[in-house]
Amino acid sequence: MDVKFPSPEWLQALHIKINSDEHYAKVAKNWEGDMFVVIEPSGPLHERIIYYLDLWHGKCRKTEVLKDLSSVQAKFILTGTFENVSQIMKGTLNPMQAMMTGKLQVQGSMVYMMRNVPTVLDFVRCCQEITSDILA
Amino acid sequence: MQPILKINLTRGESTQFNIPPAWEQEYLGGASLAARLLYSTLTRELDPLSPDSPLLFLNGPLSGTAGPTVGRFVVCGKSPATGLWAESNCGGFWGPELRFCGYDGLWITGKAEKPVYLSVNEGKLEIRAAAAIWGKDTYESQTLIKNELNIPGTHVLTIGPAGENGVLYANLMCDHGRAAGRTGLGAVAGSKNLKAIAVHGSTKPPVASPEKYALLRSEANHILKSDNMTHFFHDLGTAGVADYSDYLGSMPKKYFHQGVFEGAGNVTGSTMAEKILVGVSACHGCVIACGRVVRLEDGLKRKGPEYETIVSFGPNLLNDNLASITLMGELCDRAGMDTISAGGTIGLAFHLFEKGIITKRDTGGLVLKWGDLGMIENLLAITARREGFGEFLAKGSRRLGLHFKAEEEAVQVNGLELPYHDPRALSGMSLVYATSPRGACHNQSDYFVVELGQADSSIGVEFYERQAGAEKAANVARHQDWKTIFNSLVMCIFANIQVETVLGLINAACGLKWGEKELFKAGERAWNLKRAINHRLGLTGKNDILPKAFLEPYQDGGSAGYVPPFDEMIKAYYDARGWDQETGKPTPEKLNDLGLEWVEEDIWKT
Repeated sequence: MDVKFPSPEWLQALHIKINSDEHYAKVAKNWEGDMFVVIEPSGPLHERIIYYLDLWHGKCRKTEVLKDLSSVQAKFILTGTFENVSQIMKGTLNPMQAMMTGKLQVQGSMVYMMRNVPTVLDFVRCCQEITSDILA
Repeated sequence: MQPILKINLTRGESTQFNIPPAWEQEYLGGASLAARLLYSTLTRELDPLSPDSPLLFLNGPLSGTAGPTVGRFVVCGKSPATGLWAESNCGGFWGPELRFCGYDGLWITGKAEKPVYLSVNEGKLEIRAAAAIWGKDTYESQTLIKNELNIPGTHVLTIGPAGENGVLYANLMCDHGRAAGRTGLGAVAGSKNLKAIAVHGSTKPPVASPEKYALLRSEANHILKSDNMTHFFHDLGTAGVADYSDYLGSMPKKYFHQGVFEGAGNVTGSTMAEKILVGVSACHGCVIACGRVVRLEDGLKRKGPEYETIVSFGPNLLNDNLASITLMGELCDRAGMDTISAGGTIGLAFHLFEKGIITKRDTGGLVLKWGDLGMIENLLAITARREGFGEFLAKGSRRLGLHFKAEEEAVQVNGLELPYHDPRALSGMSLVYATSPRGACHNQSDYFVVELGQADSSIGVEFYERQAGAEKAANVARHQDWKTIFNSLVMCIFANIQVETVLGLINAACGLKWGEKELFKAGERAWNLKRAINHRLGLTGKNDILPKAFLEPYQDGGSAGYVPPFDEMIKAYYDARGWDQETGKPTPEKLNDLGLEWVEEDIWKT
């Protein structure tokens, strides 16, 4: 399946991927937390995109494309420019590097995030594996 | 900068020393300027524990200005542990308070006839008897001296029993639990009968362009406060990295001989935050507040351990009890001993005992067993007192190994025990440890954070795969130069701060018009000057090595199967540095380029 990032189809593909990936299910079996992924306009992306993902015990319970952040509360908000998030999707920017250099802003419990580094990294792997094309 | 107060304890005299302005411009301050100031006094013949041995406490040009994380100072001299250049920097409030006294440094030589402490109050020096305080631990000493002086706002830097007893990794402590931890300068203070230094003042630190500086520092603090890494250190302390470090296999276990320890997850910053954390603490003007305040079962609030202490007394010794680690850290702090070296030396003792090289006959009947919490506490206590087997431990791992004819088993470089960032997981650390001017050290360049992701292309510090080889040598050198600037200012290395911000602050504070080129040259100059000092003290290229443990791969864990290609890496590093491949010395051309031609004769012709 040709899935371009970012798009509603990409988010749907990620939903399916997470719910079918055995490795993620194992690594993330204790993860309890939903998140917003906020992609700020840069390069070819002209409008802000907000994705909502509800991740729970190694599965994805819900995904949604939102217009703003006011309608739902989430445990984490991850924010980055399209350029930086794209690099993570392509595998040219290490996700931990993105967090440590501020290319990916993290709002939420650092305690929980660090406790679950393997889950975070495996979530990124799932994102990368379904990304076959990126908006240019 | 302000003058330095030179104090001779033998004569009980003091004089004011004005720092040559040219040296300030070449070295800025902190450890770099200290290297220039001490260069001629640090000789091979100098016994670090003799009266002639200098002990230099120095601020940087930003210290005490409430700039971003600049509430630090350095202590420098010749290390009794390594016989080489010694420096240790420390947070808290003591450094800024010294600045408020109208001095930017205290340069101490000689030996008092009886134990003394110094009081510098608004610039006035008093040498006071410390007989009643000698023997007290660092926490008690701080309280007793503050009570005796009865001057509100006084800050006390002190040694503990370990420094008095000449433990070679004794430290100096201030502001409760802030440590100038490494290279054994607490033992140097103890050898001078110098128990403590109390400071109090109200002079505003000099800044060349006050209005400009105020604006820049405010902006810098604002940006720093919102940085991801600031949130990370604030929420988790330095131990926040433990989970990731364990995942990558960069957290050593069982004295660097085991890749996996099931209990490692019980002794992390996140565990601390979830279970015992009740507050945080900060150094002067710091917006990060990485210090931990914890409460154990006894209900008392106490300092929580940072990453190095956690691993040193935790997975390094197969201990997964966070409360016990907290208490071991406190035991060291009170005794005035460096936790990295203490845990490293005990780790070697356990390792040699397991191999049958040390026996019960050597330990006075003690059975050294991994994870034996009571034994670890006992060993720390007898080390501080240099009692029984503690006499061996008090000399550090290199000497312990030498005594038992197993020096190669000691995980140390040039006499300093390794911090807990394994180069088999983060290969750049092999160069950092091998070439640090003070022995194995993670603060001359905390390159492990670059390996974990905190690269900065804007200053030429790129991100390489964590187990890449020689290709990262120049990157390591560049990062060392960058962090040498931090140690000049003296700025905390936890500040994730951009080069243009640092430049703006320096230029406004010092009246300079530097760009990035001048800044990095100052860093490189100081790095090479410290190298030259060490060559004068007997170091050669043969000292730039990795301990044997790192030439054997882990069998399991996140870095299994890998050893850094050290020979290739060090060659590439020498090339990047402009150092001679045979001797490891900076070439005359390099010295000339850095304005260090005046050391050429010392290191090449004698």
